Order: sequence, then C-alpha cells, then structure tokens
Amino acid sequence: MIEPSKTSFKHAIRISSLDFYYGKKQVLFNVSLDIPENQVTAFIGPSGCGKTTLLRSLNRMNDLIDGARISNGKILIRDYDIHNKSVDVIELRKKVGMVFQKSNPFPKSIYQNISYGLHIQGIKNKRVVDEKVEESLTKAALWEEVKDRLNENAYGLSGGQQQRLCIARTLAVEPEIILMDEPCSSLDPVATGRVEELILGLKEKYTIVIVTHNMQQAGRISDRTAFFYLGNLIEFDQTKKIFLNPSKKQTEDYISGKFG
Amino acid sequence: MNLNKMDSYNPFQSSFSKEKMVEKIAFSVMRSATYFVLFCAAYLFWDIFSKGSNKLFEGDGINWEFLTQKPQTLHVIEANGTTQKLSSEKYYKFKEKKTLEKWEQLTSTLTYIDSLKFLEKNLTLVLSETSISNLEIILENLILVESQSSNRKFEYWISLLSDAELTAKDFEIKESQVFSLVSSFIKSFFSTEGNRFRVLESEIAFFKANYFQEIASPDIEGLNVLRLKYLKFLETHLPKVATRFRDLGKKLHKSKRTFFENPTPQKLTELNSAATNYLNLRKLIFRLNENENSKIWEAISSNLETFNRIVQVEIQSKDFSYSGGGIFPAIVGSILLVVGAMVIAILLGVFCAIFLAEYGKSGRFLSMIRLAILNLSGVPSIIFGLFGFGLFVIFLDWNVSLIAGWFTLAIMVLPIIITASEESLRSIPQGFRESSLALGASKWTMIRTSVLPYAMPGIITSSILGVARVAGETAPIMFTAAYAMRSELPWEGLEHWSDFFFQGVMALPYHIYIVSTKIPQNEYTIDMQYGTALVFLVFIIAVTSLSVILRSRLRKKYRW
Repeated sequence: MIEPSKTSFKHAIRISSLDFYYGKKQVLFNVSLDIPENQVTAFIGPSGCGKTTLLRSLNRMNDLIDGARISNGKILIRDYDIHNKSVDVIELRKKVGMVFQKSNPFPKSIYQNISYGLHIQGIKNKRVVDEKVEESLTKAALWEEVKDRLNENAYGLSGGQQQRLCIARTLAVEPEIILMDEPCSSLDPVATGRVEELILGLKEKYTIVIVTHNMQQAGRISDRTAFFYLGNLIEFDQTKKIFLNPSKKQTEDYISGKFG
Repeated sequence: MNLNKMDSYNPFQSSFSKEKMVEKIAFSVMRSATYFVLFCAAYLFWDIFSKGSNKLFEGDGINWEFLTQKPQTLHVIEANGTTQKLSSEKYYKFKEKKTLEKWEQLTSTLTYIDSLKFLEKNLTLVLSETSISNLEIILENLILVESQSSNRKFEYWISLLSDAELTAKDFEIKESQVFSLVSSFIKSFFSTEGNRFRVLESEIAFFKANYFQEIASPDIEGLNVLRLKYLKFLETHLPKVATRFRDLGKKLHKSKRTFFENPTPQKLTELNSAATNYLNLRKLIFRLNENENSKIWEAISSNLETFNRIVQVEIQSKDFSYSGGGIFPAIVGSILLVVGAMVIAILLGVFCAIFLAEYGKSGRFLSMIRLAILNLSGVPSIIFGLFGFGLFVIFLDWNVSLIAGWFTLAIMVLPIIITASEESLRSIPQGFRESSLALGASKWTMIRTSVLPYAMPGIITSSILGVARVAGETAPIMFTAAYAMRSELPWEGLEHWSDFFFQGVMALPYHIYIVSTKIPQNEYTIDMQYGTALVFLVFIIAVTSLSVILRSRLRKKYRW
C-alpha cells in the first residue's frame, strides 16, 4: 500500500458504528465519529460512559485486556482498518502515540525515558538520539527546566513535569496522532495550565484526541467535542456549539452540571 | 489540695471491663511468644558459635588449616607433658622431624662411622656377584639345582604310585586314596614353586592349569610326561628369575650410591628395603651352595637392621578418623552445588514466571498450574532426593554427580522462585507495560526492558530464600551428589572437561551428617561437627547479606 501524503486527509480517524464489549458487557453502542486532522478533539462524559475505552481502541491498547472485543463496526485511521490482519500493532502504536492519566515515567533517568522509544526502534547513534531528546523536550516545553539534569531519575520531577516528560517521550517516536487519557487529572492548576498550553502548541503538527473530565478544559483547548453517555455518543460538534447551544437535552444538562 | 483527695474525685477513673482484661492477656501471650522465638534464635546462635569457635579459632586467630585442608585423621599425642592434636599431615611431618633428630645423634657417633665404612666396603664387594659374567654361572647353577630337586620330587611321586599298597600302609590310608594323595602333593608343590619364584607366579599357574588332567588324576606314565614338560619349562623360564636378580642388584647398587652420597633416614629405609628384596631372592638362588659372600651378607643385613631400628621412631598416638584436617572440599562442593542449582533454577523459574504472569491468559488451566507449583513446594526434601535418584542417577545414568545434584536441588527450589518471581512481576505497575507498548515496543521488548529490570529486586529476594534452602538441604543431595569423603578437589584429576559435571562432591550439610552419625563420637568429633556447622552458618549469613545488599542497591536504582 502506498502511504498517502498527510495533507490528503480531512479526517485522521473515522469510526463507524462501533460496538464494543468487555466479556458479555457491552460498553459502546453504535458509535460513529470522524476526527479531523490537526485539531484537538475532546471526549467528555460522566465516569463509565466508555470514552476511555474508545480512546484506547484507537491504538488497540484494549488488546491487552482479556475479553475485550469489537463485535461490530470499524476504526479507520488514514482510511485503513486498524483491525485488519495485515496491520502490525507495533507500527500502529508508533503512529498513534498515547499519554496516560497517571504520569508514569520509567524509573530511569530523564534522558533514558526519552531515548527508550528510539532504542526499541533500533536507533543507537548517540548524536541522533541526543538531538531527538533535545527536540522532544523542547516541543514539550520541558527542555529549559531539565537540560542540566538529564541524567537524574525522572521521579525527581514534579507531577506536571513528569506528565510533560511523558508527552515528550511520546513525541520522540514521531507519531501523527496523540491520544491523551485525562492527562491533567492529577495535576494542580498551574501544571495543568502548562500542559494545556503545550497541547495547543502541538495542534499544528499533530492530531490530538483528549479524554477529559474537566469541561472548562475541553472548552479551552478543543476544537471539537464529543459527549458520551452510557456508551452512546450523544452529540459531536464544534466545541463552541456544544457548550453554547447544544442540540440535545442530555448534553445541556451535563454541561450545566445537572448530573455527572 | 491533697493529691489523694483529688483521686477520689477523679472523673476519668478507670473501670473494670472484660475487653481490657482480654487485651492484657492477649498482649502477654504475644509478648511471650515473641520473646520465646528470640530466645530460641539466640540460644541456637550462641550454641553453634561457642562450640564451633573451638575449632574455627583454634590456636591464634582463625584456624586456616580447618578452612583450607581436606579431612584427615586426627592424631592425639602426648609430647613434652602436654596433649597435642595433630592432623595426619602434621603428624607425619612431626614424626619425620623426630626421626631426623635421632639420626643426627646417630651420625655423630664413632660406631656409626665405622659401621658405615664397613657397609660401603662390603656392599661394593658382594654386589660384584651380579656382574654379567657371574650371571651366566648363577643361571646355570639355578637351572641345575632346580631341575635336580624337581626331578627328585617327581621320582618320589612315581615311586608312591608304583607301589600303591605300601604307600597306603605307610600313610595309613586306603589304597584308593593314594592317587588323590599324590595329586595333592603335586598341587602343593606347584603352589610353593609359585611362591618361591614370585616373578614366575603367573607362568606356573598357567602351566598347572594346562596339565590339570595329569595333576588331578596322576598315573605313572602321565607323571613322566609332566616331569619332562616341567624340566623344559624351568629351562625356558628360569632366565627371567636371573634377570630379576640382576635388576634387584642394580637397584640395590643405586640406593647404596645415593645413600652414601648423602645419608638420610629416608634413604636408609630405601636402602634397607632394596637390600631385603635382593637378599630374599639371593637366598633362593644360592640356597644349596653357600659361598663366602653369604657370611658377609649376614653381617651386612644385621648392620642395616640395627640402623633401621635406631631410625624407626614410634610416637604413641590415639587416632580419630575425620576429626583432623579441614573441610575445604565440603566448602567448595557446597558452593558449586549452590551456584549451579541456582543458575538452573533462576533460568527455569524466571522464564516460567514470565509465562505465567505475562503471557498466560487467566483461566482454569493456569490456576491448575499454579496449584501444582504450590503443592510442589510442600513436598518433603527427601522425596526430591528419591526423585532425583530415580530420574537423574538411575534413568539418565548420570551417577552420583554434580549435575544430578544441581537438577534435583533446582527442581526443589523452583516453586519458591516461580511463585515469588511471578509475585514481583505482577507488582510492576501496569503503566510501565502500557507506556512501553504505546511507544511501539513488542511484547517481548516490553517485558525485557520495562518489566524484568524492575522486577529483578523481587526476584533476587526470592532467590535468597532459594539459596539458603539449596545450601542447607541434606536429603536431596544424599543420593544424587554428595560423597561422604573424597580426597580430590573437583578440579583435580579430570580426564576431560565434561567429567567435571559427572563427579560427586563433598557438601557441608552432608559432612555434618556424616561426622555426627557415621563415626564413633568423642570430644574431637564434636569439635569437628560444630566447627563445620559454624562455617556453614557463616556461609549462609554471608550469602544472604550479599543478596540483601544487592537487592537494596537495585531498589535504589529503580525506585518509583
């Protein structure tokens, strides 16, 4: 397959009528959603609504969970079905990076955390790795803070710095799409601000999908917002429209804090 | 205000309650249980240390002999009014020293110098009888004499047979028994001949077997044939006796020369034995025709005997087997057993744990495997010993060997290592696995780079338990790897490198067992037992603390 150039896509990810089960329990019902390129898309909704499950399906992280399966529907990334047998899940995850809710750097030095992804791809050249480390840390707005202590343990960093390190680690392997699972849930407002700033900066080059509980955050950083409730996609539209003029009653109730 | 009075108004005065009572009792039970355990541990250590240090710190400082030597017999001697304990090696050195002292005293006397001169002169004189020209004559004489004497014997037996009636009367037997009488005479004749000519022993036995029929049921004709055959046999084989005589002469000559160059007690002993050998054969050869040399030989041998008596030093000693020397081979053996078994067990155990923790899908099959592993850890060690004996020693024909011991011990500790390794693999945060995979790692890369390194401290901790158990068990190695006594160290006397794996070794716990149960008990063996136990304890403590240090280092390196 000849890889089409990046610009030829309007939609980075297309999800069509997806049904998802954990064992016998269905958690996603007929979800269809097109995620546009180079924009920030936010998934919101109360706990247990399936937004994280959907996010983890996008780079097949759910493969790790016993009994997780898609019974119906497709996920296309760059117009290619990611559950096709010919898809190497390793290659998929290189293109679709992920940042987790809990910042989880490896208990190694800051430098080693960034170079990890390069090493497992077989890039060993010291100069190349050095450049990549600096580039990724700069993109993640962390370089100035850590450039003098690259060889210190990553667990010496503050929570916000750790999360930005995780983002830098993801950037180092040069993904095209970045999935973020509540990246700011355990951060204080100042750290959250830095991460949000970073996300807005990254938007130009990457397609970002973010799951968040914080509706102000969704409002601040996302271009489009999808609202999920009990495994159903209730509404998906421009963020402004969702927040100012939702077309569904449930969305309005949720936004205005009547439940959830 | 009065304090007592204040008490009586105390609003917080404690009141009796059942709950408090129960707590008090429970507390005292818990406390005494803890103290009891402490007491037992302290007593054990105190006992082993106090008794074991007798052996380990004998003399000044550490008793290196105990740590670096092989087990030996202990010789307890009375010297200068004190009791001394000497292991075989030292005992023989001590004996040698005493002999030398006595020898030096002897060599300074005039009588010695005279005797020495006499010996040297006469030995040179009489040894000329083995010169080549003489040898021909000696051989001729020998053949003549032996033929004559054998001939006479045969004639006598033939005469016995030819007049059987008279023979029966003379020997007071029935006439029918005469044949078997003669037969027994001939048989004993050949036995004596074999004894006399040690060099010809096998040839004579062969001759006897060849003519078995003639000897077992002799008749006159048969005996005549046998006589001729035997005379022929003597003619062909007696030169060998002569050659032997010449060789012994040469040997005596050589020991004489080395002795007179530099007389020492050891060389004297050699000279004496060379002379004795020579004289024995000489007596046989010259038994009928005494010559003038025989007189001189008598003088020489009596002279040598006197000397020998003087240098023989007897030291009275009480001997205790296994109680002297050291336990070096057992230390080496134990280390080899532990290292080999742990390498095998950790390799197998970690791979098994990875499979169970990372690859195995949870289900009935997996929980059955877990249950089996758990049950395996409860099997008594003697059963593992029997299992190893049956499988490795007998079926695979590895004999009692290091490799059989390794596998038996490895299988014994596997459950501990698998269970604990799986535990520590599972304790690694799921986040490490997920982020590694999300960065494009394959499953194996993820395990290798983001799980195993962080699980290592836990795996090492579990191995500590394993090391202590492997080093300490006696039963599994009793049938599979341990020898009660082996004087060579494992790297000594190997014909091929692979023999290293197929040799038995000594081991500390088995050695303790042997010296405690298999030899007569006395104060000296008790020292040995406790000394070995102490070394063993120190060995275990050393291994354990090494692992603890290693673990804490790794923990510091990988903290999260």
